[in-house]
Amino acid sequence: MIQEESFSRQSMAARIEERLKPSAVPWSRLSVVPVVIALLVSLVLPWATDLLPFGKFVLHLLILFFLWGIVVQGWNLIMGVSGIFSFAQVALFAVGAWTSGVITQQLGWSPFVAMWFGPIAATFVAVILGLPTLRLRGAYVVLLTLGFQELFRNFTTQGPNFVAGGGYGLRYVPKFPFEEWVGGDKAQFLYYYLALVFFAIATFAIWRIFYSPIGMAFRALRDSEVYAISRGVSPFRYKLFLFGFVAFFTGWAGAFYVHWYGAISPAIMLFGTTINLLAMIVIGGWGSFWGPIAGCAVLTVLPEIMRAVEQYRILLLGIVLALVAIFAPEGLFPLLLRWVRKMLGRQT
Amino acid sequence: MEKLIQAIYGGIVYGSIFGMMALGLTLIWGALRMLNLAHGSLYLVGTYIAWALVTLLKVPMVPALLIAALGTAVVGFGMQTLFLNRILGKPGWDVGSLIVGVGVGMALDQSILLIFGPRVKQMPPLIPGVYKIGRVVINYNFLVVVAVAVISLVLLSIFLSKSRHGLAIQAVSQQPDAAQLMGIPTRTVFLIVMCISAALAGLAGALLSTVYQVQRESGANAMLMALVVTIFGGLGSVKGTIWAAYLIGLLQSFLMVYLGAGTALPGVFLFMMIMLVIRPSGLFGLGEAQRL
Repeated sequence: MIQEESFSRQSMAARIEERLKPSAVPWSRLSVVPVVIALLVSLVLPWATDLLPFGKFVLHLLILFFLWGIVVQGWNLIMGVSGIFSFAQVALFAVGAWTSGVITQQLGWSPFVAMWFGPIAATFVAVILGLPTLRLRGAYVVLLTLGFQELFRNFTTQGPNFVAGGGYGLRYVPKFPFEEWVGGDKAQFLYYYLALVFFAIATFAIWRIFYSPIGMAFRALRDSEVYAISRGVSPFRYKLFLFGFVAFFTGWAGAFYVHWYGAISPAIMLFGTTINLLAMIVIGGWGSFWGPIAGCAVLTVLPEIMRAVEQYRILLLGIVLALVAIFAPEGLFPLLLRWVRKMLGRQT
Repeated sequence: MEKLIQAIYGGIVYGSIFGMMALGLTLIWGALRMLNLAHGSLYLVGTYIAWALVTLLKVPMVPALLIAALGTAVVGFGMQTLFLNRILGKPGWDVGSLIVGVGVGMALDQSILLIFGPRVKQMPPLIPGVYKIGRVVINYNFLVVVAVAVISLVLLSIFLSKSRHGLAIQAVSQQPDAAQLMGIPTRTVFLIVMCISAALAGLAGALLSTVYQVQRESGANAMLMALVVTIFGGLGSVKGTIWAAYLIGLLQSFLMVYLGAGTALPGVFLFMMIMLVIRPSGLFGLGEAQRL
């Protein structure tokens, strides 16, 4: 019995070792071929959608996917991997959007310059918010972050006029000057490529954190805080770092959003957006790397297909969310993956 | 002087209502260790049941309130038996219960929208008429709301401290494992707690529908304030919750009267954030922040 236990412990140690080592040289984990293929496909994709009769719409969905993909991956890192129940991610997204939007509107700077102040402001706000929040746990974090989102929404509806715009939020924000560069039709292509670059950088950075010793520390903090502390992981510092790190990319996505749409409304911070993003993470796969991306893809496309039955969609989404939490707590994507592997294994 | 009376009066009204909402949350937290994010939706269910009974079926007020509370309790019962019982006591409980709450709340909200439509509705007051002290208008309706809220709070605290089931609930909140070993059927206790909590939310919703308009957004707002109160009072502490409800109610009312309505919500949140930094376990918290 004892031998068995020590053996399993050894194998556990071996497994952890195996996961840790390659992260010292992260690119060695990355197999080049799929990445190159994915990049090539995504480079060609807009030209392919151009051939379709509803190609513009597909392109729009792709950009949306990249945008929310960044936010969702970050949130997954915070919530799924390290177990901080932050509900303020949409607010941080909005902080990025508002900062960049206000700078272009009030100071007349180019969106390409202002874009960088969004993420910086979001990181700053996240650290300030994290200082009191991250010392607390569980339900307290939920409340403080929800409260922050409510406060910021309040500020953007009732604040000074250059922020609130009389309750409508920011309108007529200068867009990226793509239309002047290449003319109306092809401008969307450039937005697509910019979003792709953002998404690729964010995904790489998050992937890097995910499979690194730091990522391991986060998982340890989630699963057993006492053990993590005893191994020298400082919960507060690590969480604060993660909070700021994720806020940077979230704010970045926000800044892109505002210069893409040319407007942003405080309504984005209503609970609906948060729930939609949460559904992406939960249905895709809580705490896994590819799950949230898959969930984001599905839940970006699905609503557009189900436009006609929009109201039933939300009802259904709620029930599916509850059912997934009960019957497939790790999410549908890992379940599907395991099922596919099983099928393949049976064949060979 | 008039302002002061106005502020105190408003504070007592708000406090009673927050107390009813927050007590349900706190009970569930104490017994089940679950942050019930569907609480606002249960409140909405109560509101709309009461509205439908009173305006569509012409039921008198008092039975309508009771039926609304009962109906919401049935919804809570369904939520517990259909969803929560399946993950009760399993590893991923905190995450799972949180998401089940969000999902069920979303489904309830949307069903209400589908059944009743998006239009804002009006509910007649319980008792019409006003009483004036100087320029302060005291609504009889508000007084009835406060009276019902206080009576239900008192009855509940007697139930919790004197009756067999109440003592069982307390035992389970303090030490679930030990309670089970002493022969307390924990699952039944959880079910009772869920039903009581839902009924309180429903009653609060039905009562408040006579004060505010009947609309979908009110659920989320009510839940947010209830959350503030629960956390402020220290999660799981009944006494702390009731104190916190009146404190927050008074604070909000004073901010509204002296600084304008727009400052109330930010002011309360700011106060709460500062308070949590200074005393992370709430007013009467039991070192909860450490144990969570």
